[in-house]
Amino acid sequence: MDAYILAIESSCDETSMAIVKNGREVVSLSIATQIDIHKKYGGVVPEIASRMHTEAITYVLEDCLEKAHMKIEDMSAIAVTYAPGLTGSLMVGVEAAKILAFMYHKPLIAVNHLVGHIYANNLEEKLEYPLLALIVSGGHTELIVMEGDYQFKRLGETMDDAVGEAFDKVARVIGLSYPGGPSIEKLAKEGKHTYLLPNPVNDNTYHFSYSGLKSAVINLVHNEKQRGNEIRKADLAKSFQDVAVDELVRKVELAFKNTGIKRLVVAGGVSANQYLKEQMKKVSDQYGVKLLIPRILYCTDNAAMIGAAAYPKYLKQEFSDYSLNVSSSADIV
Amino acid sequence: MYSLFIDTHYTDLHLALFYNDKVCEEIKIENAKHSECFILSLEQLLKKKRITIDDLSGILVVVGPGSFTGCRIGVVIAKMISYCKNIPVKALSYLQALDLEYDKEVVVGIKDKNGVYGARFSLDHVLMGDYFYLSHEEYKNYSEYIYIDGKIDLNKVYLYMKKQDAIEPHLLKPIYIKKIEVENG
Repeated sequence: MDAYILAIESSCDETSMAIVKNGREVVSLSIATQIDIHKKYGGVVPEIASRMHTEAITYVLEDCLEKAHMKIEDMSAIAVTYAPGLTGSLMVGVEAAKILAFMYHKPLIAVNHLVGHIYANNLEEKLEYPLLALIVSGGHTELIVMEGDYQFKRLGETMDDAVGEAFDKVARVIGLSYPGGPSIEKLAKEGKHTYLLPNPVNDNTYHFSYSGLKSAVINLVHNEKQRGNEIRKADLAKSFQDVAVDELVRKVELAFKNTGIKRLVVAGGVSANQYLKEQMKKVSDQYGVKLLIPRILYCTDNAAMIGAAAYPKYLKQEFSDYSLNVSSSADIV
Repeated sequence: MYSLFIDTHYTDLHLALFYNDKVCEEIKIENAKHSECFILSLEQLLKKKRITIDDLSGILVVVGPGSFTGCRIGVVIAKMISYCKNIPVKALSYLQALDLEYDKEVVVGIKDKNGVYGARFSLDHVLMGDYFYLSHEEYKNYSEYIYIDGKIDLNKVYLYMKKQDAIEPHLLKPIYIKKIEVENG
């Protein structure tokens, strides 16, 4: 029998719901984004995010059901992102999911947001194992090996800032609007790699570090200003993006060499970056690795990926009870 | 038919059922973790009367003022039930509930750890002016007596709310009085 999962995602600044069939097919997807509100403040204000989720939640549900021409009664389960993310934001989604599960006697499935980003690929093409997964977002930079469904082994992670966080901060320093990733990418297209910036972690571990690179950009901007020099913003954006992405590529290449794994999944908001896609394609081709990056709609935060990630748990009947609580920092490994 | 009362505005979780205009069952948990106990308490409350959500004909929810997160939990659950099951929902401020105890024009208040939420109500319990928040210092110097942290009488609350209009569930939201950092900046 087909399984329809109603999934809810509210971990940051998008209120999203989706109905996903058998973990692979998106029947409907609704997203209410708050980007324009947070833009005013140069980043996500957690309390405002929680308020916006509260106001949007029933509208998003209505839209999602209408698009699918389905009722909650038709669902096989309710899934929700419970971690990681902004606590107050996550809570809105989790409470909504729990009351739905209770009212309609449906099983409740708790999904980790990062696992959701990996399973987003199942919406495009069925995941096969073993695979390498690179998670790159505003909160995470991790390289993971998966031997099967929900079998994660972490090779490395960032020791300080996440790569997406560095994009946001650098964007702010050079006066670009929030969110920083798309702003830097757009400007970098007009620039040349002329600024000399330090390579993050030039070693043979799988760890990442972005605070040094971020600080180097901040110092450079500060020093140039003091000297009265104009910053070539497009060149700086391009220089930063190159160094940030090349570091990811170098670590992925190291993993290709050491593990011999022939599949790479790139997940998370930063995987929407075109330069990153091109570089990952290049290195993957060089090693005969199959590269999987979902379309942008499924790269950025959305509930369809939560529905996809909930499916293996649905099959194994790994359900949560009504005491399910949020967690700001649940690791997947 | 039964009506459900929901109050999560501060640290206590308070749920009740009304039948024939009176409280017939209630659950109160002090210092509750709302997120962890709400649904389990609701389940327990309904079980006591051997009813389900579908037996409800109305919801009364306290929308604040108080803890932002606490208020949101009650509001999100109330609006989801109201929207999904098409059950009318009415929003109530806790200060309004407190005021029903006084048969004169008064300023009522609730303390939290940083100060006092307050509001003035007329003899016939109509809000006069806006809700406000006072720091400890401002409260000490306040020119008028504030009736702080009284008890609410749920039966009075129910009868008063009977005369009020239900609200569209999409539009239900908490009362936020205290400013947040970015609003001050």
